[in-house]
Amino acid sequence: MAEVHVIGQIIGASGFPDHSLFCKWGIHSGGGWKILSGLREGQTQVDNPQSEDAAYFAHPIDIHFATKGIQGWPRMHFQVWHQDAFGRNELYGYGFVHLPTSPGQHDIDCPTWRPTGTFMESVSQFFLGGGPHLKNPDLIYSGADRYKLQTIAMGKIHLRIGIILRNFDKFGIEC
Amino acid sequence: MANPSVFLLMVSGQIESAEFPEFDDIYCKYCFSYGLDWAITSGLDESITQITKKSRDEHQRFVWNFPIDATFKSTSPSGWPQLVVYAYGLDAFGTDVVRGYGVCHIPITPGRHRLRLPMFVPESSSLLQKLTAWFLGRRPEYVNPRVVAQGEGREVTRVRTQGFLTVSFNIIMKDMKKLGYDILPSDLQNPTIPAGVAGTDAAKAS
Repeated sequence: MAEVHVIGQIIGASGFPDHSLFCKWGIHSGGGWKILSGLREGQTQVDNPQSEDAAYFAHPIDIHFATKGIQGWPRMHFQVWHQDAFGRNELYGYGFVHLPTSPGQHDIDCPTWRPTGTFMESVSQFFLGGGPHLKNPDLIYSGADRYKLQTIAMGKIHLRIGIILRNFDKFGIEC
Repeated sequence: MANPSVFLLMVSGQIESAEFPEFDDIYCKYCFSYGLDWAITSGLDESITQITKKSRDEHQRFVWNFPIDATFKSTSPSGWPQLVVYAYGLDAFGTDVVRGYGVCHIPITPGRHRLRLPMFVPESSSLLQKLTAWFLGRRPEYVNPRVVAQGEGREVTRVRTQGFLTVSFNIIMKDMKKLGYDILPSDLQNPTIPAGVAGTDAAKAS
């Protein structure tokens, strides 16, 4: 069995309208992948930064996968939420990245998007907050029904991910 | 020689400097947080730096230049060591208050790395608590600093990023390849095809 170690951090997020943010993350992998240790999903701390240009989560990721095949390489998906001074949470964006397939250290920027509604809905969103959410969160990382969505771009999530592979060369995989 | 069962990770580096725009007189402590498979074979697990004031120029930097030296051994990369740095400073009344927690994984590739860590503090939950904390000098802090190296339970914490810390590392590893772990992309110009991969025997036969 080949093994993949994912060792890294969700560093933070930038480029959003306001930076009092937290991030829910999860990893989705194909059927042949098994998690030997580590958490498959989580939620970061809420950061309310002094300097207003980026939020920092410093959330550690340490996962050990075992797999029989390279199909269904794991993808990491995110939901960025904004928490205001009253403690209300508002969705700011969805995004996903594939985990890198080559060993080593990688600095990754994950772009995010948010679903938009009609013009009247975006006016009420401007004044009251809230806004459309995805009914099925699988759509964040799959392309199946995306053509039905209208979205708008939001900021970026920054990750520093290190990948250690084991036994891939024994199976003749070059990566 | 028998096949090794552990690999070694040697870290040498330093806590270089930091920027905390609003504070002065700061010192740092650091500790390592690692999983159950890991053990430190040499070097200090925790240490404290000197107290330093910020520079008087426009950069307003704190410089410690404090050495970090440790060697770890392990049987598996799970629980890879993390460096947890926590900075303390003196407030207006002269008591020690925490100015930031920062955490990063020790880099997984050999060589020289320079990282900039955001330093954050837990926030009081209400305005009244903030005022009492400021008066009494008892700001919120983590009971166990290693909690910032874990992912569980973080969703209930609210923090404020107040500064940045620069650390540099030089990493050496021993026996990772012998145990089968790849930390660098494969070199297709000079492939190392292990004995037993299907196809090498056929090539020898023909």
